[in-house]
Amino acid sequence: MSAAATALKPSAETAPQSGARLVVSTLEKLGVEVLFGYPGGAIMPIYDALAGSSLRHYLCRHEQGAAFAADSYARVSGKVGVCMATSGPGATNLVTGIANAMLDSVPMVCITGNVAQGVMGMDAFQEVDILGVTLPIVKHSYLVRRAADIPAVIEEAFHLARSGRPGPVLIDLPKDVQFELTNEARAFHVPNDAVIAETSVIAEAEAAIRAARRPVLYIGGGAKISGAVEAVRAFAAMTGIPQVSTLNALGTIPSGQDNYLGMLGMHGTRCANEAVQESDLLIVVGARFDDRATGKLVEFAPHAGVVHFDIDPSEIGKLRKVAVGVTGDLKPNLEAMNARLSSGPAIDVSGWAERWRAKSIECAFDYNAPGEGVFAPQLLNELSKKAGPNFIAACDVGQHQMWVAQYCEFSRPQAHITSGGLGSMGFGLPAGIGAKLAEPDACVVTITGDGGVMMNIQELATVNRFKIPLKIIILDNSRLGMVRQWQEFFFERNFSEVDLSDNPDFVKVAEAFGIPAFRVDARDQVSAGIDRLLAAEGPILMHVIIDPNDNVWPLVPPGKNNAEMLEGAR
Amino acid sequence: MTDTVHILIDRADGALQRLIGLVERRGFFIDAITMAPEGAALNIALTVRGRDAGRSIDNLGLQIDRLVGARRISNDAAFRSEAA
Repeated sequence: MSAAATALKPSAETAPQSGARLVVSTLEKLGVEVLFGYPGGAIMPIYDALAGSSLRHYLCRHEQGAAFAADSYARVSGKVGVCMATSGPGATNLVTGIANAMLDSVPMVCITGNVAQGVMGMDAFQEVDILGVTLPIVKHSYLVRRAADIPAVIEEAFHLARSGRPGPVLIDLPKDVQFELTNEARAFHVPNDAVIAETSVIAEAEAAIRAARRPVLYIGGGAKISGAVEAVRAFAAMTGIPQVSTLNALGTIPSGQDNYLGMLGMHGTRCANEAVQESDLLIVVGARFDDRATGKLVEFAPHAGVVHFDIDPSEIGKLRKVAVGVTGDLKPNLEAMNARLSSGPAIDVSGWAERWRAKSIECAFDYNAPGEGVFAPQLLNELSKKAGPNFIAACDVGQHQMWVAQYCEFSRPQAHITSGGLGSMGFGLPAGIGAKLAEPDACVVTITGDGGVMMNIQELATVNRFKIPLKIIILDNSRLGMVRQWQEFFFERNFSEVDLSDNPDFVKVAEAFGIPAFRVDARDQVSAGIDRLLAAEGPILMHVIIDPNDNVWPLVPPGKNNAEMLEGAR
Repeated sequence: MTDTVHILIDRADGALQRLIGLVERRGFFIDAITMAPEGAALNIALTVRGRDAGRSIDNLGLQIDRLVGARRISNDAAFRSEAA
């Protein structure tokens, strides 16, 4: 409990309330509308109190699905995602979802029941020290020992989850605390902790930007998180500095924009990677030099100084020395930078930018592939064009995830929901659920593989129960395609344990869950298939057979620098 | 080369695990710990040593600063530079 919590005082309510009731009323007070979860023994008092509340609880069919759905709901809505589970297996099933939110800085509050305090530490039934289990993967966590602390803890948890660098916060509630009656309440006063950099630091950054001859703007997921998308776009438009994006920042600059070179890194564009390698200044906004973006770190952008904008001081200089670190909220800091730049002489890097504009046309992705089979990149590009500005792709993890990143067109960062840092298979289907609930008018398409979809396939039952009009595409190569690809190139074609050719019939599986489904297995069926998918009013699943030997190109081999991209022949 | 980091951390469930786990996870050996209560907090001195040359004591300090309820008072490297 932080110092911001005030002393105990009697609440306005005269009748004592249970801890469970306080959980529900505090969530209501905080404006929570949607939460995801799964009941069980140690959280039954909260589920009891939930009945009749204004909260819309979505029962998922596995706690991991609930956590992923809450994560995706948060990414699309900008609100805090909330999920709940019981003690023991319920809590441990949340763990992957919590780690996912941690690595992509997603605001999430996870509420777990636990055994009563009197038997804690006695190996009671379904007892797990979930606070201990999750310590490395939460922004913060609480074990609440008194019902009177519940409102302040939940309010503080929401504040922590969404402020600064967002992340998941876990609240563990022993069952006796849920039952405990109290008429005391502790208030939490939200501190005003917006972080704005000193003017002198902005001036130093400005000087570095003005002095650069070959600058590149390197955009990370922080741009969206801090609401700085417009400021980033204004910076890019005003300066004409070429831009590259990380996986989590796709859509910050709309696809196809002048001077936007696409994604950098392992499966990025040649153009983005080469521009970064040749740059003399990287202007990094809300990114963290992830190894999938940088390749071999010591050879990454070897001639570049770095101006790093980030809210998290521990990210500045963590992996790469910086010339100027601008610590604080991206939005006001970039706006301050834009104001300075617009009041001085115009930045002119037109020669440098022109070179990369020409190069980006020269090395644009190729949609032509031989044969009659479905070419997933072409399908995905057509899908995103037909879906229009309301498109949201909720990706799973693997080859299709990279094809989505490379070939779909995005007009805003909320359009691309992906498990970036954790790379967690099974994310796609529950992420689609969370996204559709966050933005019911959006055209939400889960794009998954035959491996990933099986990791949370039970969530088809959630889609059906709530009749969530989610569109689902399974790109099925009957392999663990990304692993197969690495085995082909880096493990002497020893295809160990990647064959999934005994997959179930996904059309029948979907139909068994009550979801209409159809199959596309030839290129000439693709356009009509996409039209049918997009026209459906309710949930629908399109099962697409693709070539097991298709690979993701280009590719920077692990441990190599980003200039050493391999291109495949098709 | 060791450094000693001084931290005040609020007593709360998991507080010690959170601190010690962070230091080890970020690639440091802990050679010594001393601890004493100070009001509602614990005053802790950690003597640490990076596992390899890539581990920065300055970055470890910033990571500790991110812990909710922890306040880093100093590390002795900072004391040395202030004294110089």
